[in-house]
Amino acid sequence: MVVLAATVLAGVTLAVVLLTGWATGGNSGVTDVAGSTSAVLYPAGHRPLAPDFTATTLTGSRLRFSSYRGQVVVLNFWGSWCGPCREEAPTLAVAARQYRSAGVAFLGVDVRDTTASALAFARDFGITYPSVSDSGSEITLDFTTVVPIAGTPTTLVIDRTGHITGAVFGTATYQELTDLLAKVTGKAAG
Amino acid sequence: MTDVRAPEADPFESAAEQDDREDRSRDRAAGTLGFADWLKWGWRQLTSMRIALVLLFLLALGSVPGSMLPQEGTDAAGVQQYYTSHPALAPLLNHLGLFNVFAAPWFAAIYLLLFTSLVGCVVPRTFRLAGSARALPPRAPRHLTRLPRSAEYTTVLAPALAAEVAATVLAGHGFRLRRPADASGGAWVSAEKGYLREVGNLLFHLALLGVLVSVALGGLFGYKADRLLVQGTTFADTQSALDEFYPGRLVTAADLGPFTITLNRFDASYITSGAQRGQPASFDAQISYAAYPGGPVRTDQLEVNRPLSVDGAKVYLIGHGYAPVFKVTDARGQVVYDQATPFISGSSGNFLSQGVVKVLDAQPEQLGFTGVFVPTAVEAGGVLESVFPAADNPVVSLIAYAGNLGLNSGVTQSVYQMDTAGMRRLTADPQLLLPGQSLKLPGGQGTITFTGYVPWVSLAITHDPGQLPALICGIAALGGLLLSFMVRRRRVFVRARASGPGTTVQIGGLARTDASGGFEAEFASLAAELRSAHHQAAASRQHEGE
Amino acid sequence: MPVNLALGHVSNDFLIAALVIYSLSVVAFAGDFAFGRPRRAVASEPQVRERASTLAGVGAAGAAVAGPAAGAPAAADGGPADGPAAAPAAAAVPDSMPAVAAPPLRAVAQAGRWVQAAMALSAVAVVAHTAAVVTRGLAVHRAPWGNMYEFVTALTCVAAIFFLFVMVRYRAWALGVFVMGAVVVALGLAETLIYTAAGQLVPALQSYWLDIHVTAMTLATGIFFVAAVLGVVYLVADRYSRRVAAGRAEPGNGIMRRLPGLEQIDRLTYRTIMFGFPVWTFGVIAGAIWADQAWGRYWGWDPVETWAFITWVLYAAFLHARATAGWRGRRAHYIQLLGFASLMFNILVVQVFIAGLHSYAGVS
Repeated sequence: MVVLAATVLAGVTLAVVLLTGWATGGNSGVTDVAGSTSAVLYPAGHRPLAPDFTATTLTGSRLRFSSYRGQVVVLNFWGSWCGPCREEAPTLAVAARQYRSAGVAFLGVDVRDTTASALAFARDFGITYPSVSDSGSEITLDFTTVVPIAGTPTTLVIDRTGHITGAVFGTATYQELTDLLAKVTGKAAG
Repeated sequence: MTDVRAPEADPFESAAEQDDREDRSRDRAAGTLGFADWLKWGWRQLTSMRIALVLLFLLALGSVPGSMLPQEGTDAAGVQQYYTSHPALAPLLNHLGLFNVFAAPWFAAIYLLLFTSLVGCVVPRTFRLAGSARALPPRAPRHLTRLPRSAEYTTVLAPALAAEVAATVLAGHGFRLRRPADASGGAWVSAEKGYLREVGNLLFHLALLGVLVSVALGGLFGYKADRLLVQGTTFADTQSALDEFYPGRLVTAADLGPFTITLNRFDASYITSGAQRGQPASFDAQISYAAYPGGPVRTDQLEVNRPLSVDGAKVYLIGHGYAPVFKVTDARGQVVYDQATPFISGSSGNFLSQGVVKVLDAQPEQLGFTGVFVPTAVEAGGVLESVFPAADNPVVSLIAYAGNLGLNSGVTQSVYQMDTAGMRRLTADPQLLLPGQSLKLPGGQGTITFTGYVPWVSLAITHDPGQLPALICGIAALGGLLLSFMVRRRRVFVRARASGPGTTVQIGGLARTDASGGFEAEFASLAAELRSAHHQAAASRQHEGE
Repeated sequence: MPVNLALGHVSNDFLIAALVIYSLSVVAFAGDFAFGRPRRAVASEPQVRERASTLAGVGAAGAAVAGPAAGAPAAADGGPADGPAAAPAAAAVPDSMPAVAAPPLRAVAQAGRWVQAAMALSAVAVVAHTAAVVTRGLAVHRAPWGNMYEFVTALTCVAAIFFLFVMVRYRAWALGVFVMGAVVVALGLAETLIYTAAGQLVPALQSYWLDIHVTAMTLATGIFFVAAVLGVVYLVADRYSRRVAAGRAEPGNGIMRRLPGLEQIDRLTYRTIMFGFPVWTFGVIAGAIWADQAWGRYWGWDPVETWAFITWVLYAAFLHARATAGWRGRRAHYIQLLGFASLMFNILVVQVFIAGLHSYAGVS
């Protein structure tokens, strides 16, 4: 008899505990996306329009993003301090060279960084395409309203009409990048 | 209804215990006990005062480890340290959830059971209270002298009139009255007062429940975030720009408000003399902010205790520190690093701060420096100390390394720590630099210049939709508590019987919930007032009669 | 504004004076125990009916009036209480009216020289103590409870004022030796161990919510301090009465005879905690408001916050215990004392040694 009552009470307690565990368990800190990569291709009709921005490149000239309309753009959010960005930099450098003839433009967005370190990074990895400075993360903020950018590196593939067609959240591998580009340009590398 | 009970009942027994007793005797009379009865028994146990007491103890006891051990939410570094200093004990404690007590399932079980017990007790009583809102006090007992408080005196007024006068007096004091339906039982008045006590009691307990719900609201829909901001820089409120982000269960990064904040200037002043020399006197941050991209830019002064409200979130000034500015030229003469580097002051006083400079793209080799920034430096016995928190005599001490910083393979590192495993030391001793001085690295590896320093602030961005409801419930709980403590439920009865040429007036009273005393004084003054009212009425009748 | 060091010294002088006068009052209270007017041992139950036979005549002094007034050991003092003015009664039934308590100062006068001296000394000490607290506040241009020394000074002042009021209202001077004695000990410890010279507050604490929060906590702690002392007295008296009942002790032992009845001490303690608990609750709420302003969250399970919560739960448990059969009396007082112990632990150990946002004790 006592056992029965105790079982009932235990059952109630368990149910209550499980419920609470769910309700309060969500508080782990979420920082950058290093280590977790996902490549996403947005289906037609679900491709958000990339926001326009005007910013200063690392070499000091002004750049307007809408000037890239009509080209396929690979927009890469990076920082010289960011380990996974350093890991994918060679990939980007190679892909940029390979797709230049196909008319694909690569543009970097240098987040939370300074010019000296950023230029040194570009020299180091042979990145020849331009990057704009986003030390205040304002460009990132704009883009986060349309795609869930959680940290760096994040690579977006934007089609000729200015819509974001694909994204890699995290370190992009050569395979992932070229797959996305192939789908968008209809061409393979080279 | 349990409200109408014999005055001889124990006034200290709570309604719940009374029900308990009555239910138990009913059960005993019934005989056999089925499963439903056992459920009822279990429920009654859960909602009993005894279990409530036990659960309260467990709640208090369970909170103790949460205050003694480092907790993950507030002191993650401390938890790590605990692991290193207690390698065998730490995993066991972690298993028991002792490094995150207040989010642990067992702690939740305690307070949820407590609240279940509370609800199970309070809700039926609320219904009972609503039901008894119009109920009348019981009839006056025959022998009022047997009540805990009684008084007796005589008057020349007729019994019926005496009862009238008594009723008027008692009604004047706000008592709820009951008069006899007919003359068969004699002349009497029943009076009861103090129903608000139960209202206060229930309000208190329900308000506590409201606090719990508010906390849950915050846990589901609120978030906390941190960001360190160097003077002269800007940050936009987006996940990738935050140093830490703790979303609630149902919150995503999309819920962050799209504001940007620029730290224009930060000032801190310290006490320069007296016993409190070195204590911060004031600090404030001049910021400009825009609530959304392209929105109007406003300025504000952030201080401790004075947060900024923007986009439904609040931005708090939590702390500050120094970021020395370094310029590094590599072996090839290129400027490869030129920025303010936040250094963190630990527990050592006067803002003695530590940090690292990682020059990832120096050629031919990566360079790294571990440094100590001393705001007001004094060398004592070969050891560099900071004797004042303001930067009155800033000195930087650096140790230089070259090699592989380990970041190229894609791991993430803290910007305040450097992994020297793949590096070799370039300078044997720490090198001291004053602002403006440079250190030439051996082997032509390059130069590092300590150009100056700027302050940084740490900001906390929080959103808690449960905050205002919690405050309202807290105030309601306090109100209910005061009401239940200050109001006494008591009954007063008056009987008037003819005796001889006059009338004997008997007054009886009891306090149902008067464990603290205080009814005696009220009864004494009521009795005196009734008597003088009767004597006055008698006197005025005599007057009229003449 | 700079700290007025001279005024700070004046404050300290007042405090020393208060300490000395408190000690003298304790001696006087003890003197009352030893040499004071003998009193009947009080065993009154709350449900004993009072009976007073009053005949015609106003102010029937000399009429044997027994019966305690509200919760007080009034019957313990030998003086008669005044009966109510009686109008001429024409009937044969004698009037039986509940006694109205004598005015407090008259009761003090009737309690004997020792009590008069003790009460006077206590009053003077309280004035000096209050002056110490006030001048400290004026010296530092803020509410004078910003570090632990100031806090202990202020809470003992609250306790003393509160208990002075209790002694007068409830004729509870028999308990004066214990409470004032405890005040002396606490103040002495504060002066010798944790004295901090007057100084400014760190910016984290400069907020009007500080004044509200810490004021409430100081008040509540002072009140709980009194309740704790009374709780100890209760437990000692309770143990004694059990021993008497078991035949292991002489009834009518000197000190025990002086004390009010168990029921009265219990009720006094209960009323004290009923006064302090809402103040503590308010203090916790005010602290949460302040924490939200300063640190961005109204409750973060900071060690000091956690222990304030534990204290709250324990006093809530005391209140529940009083309403639970089998848990009243001794057990309830154990709980109450545990609550006070947690409060002291919070002030003395947690705030000083356990790191947290609250560390401001000013003790290095």
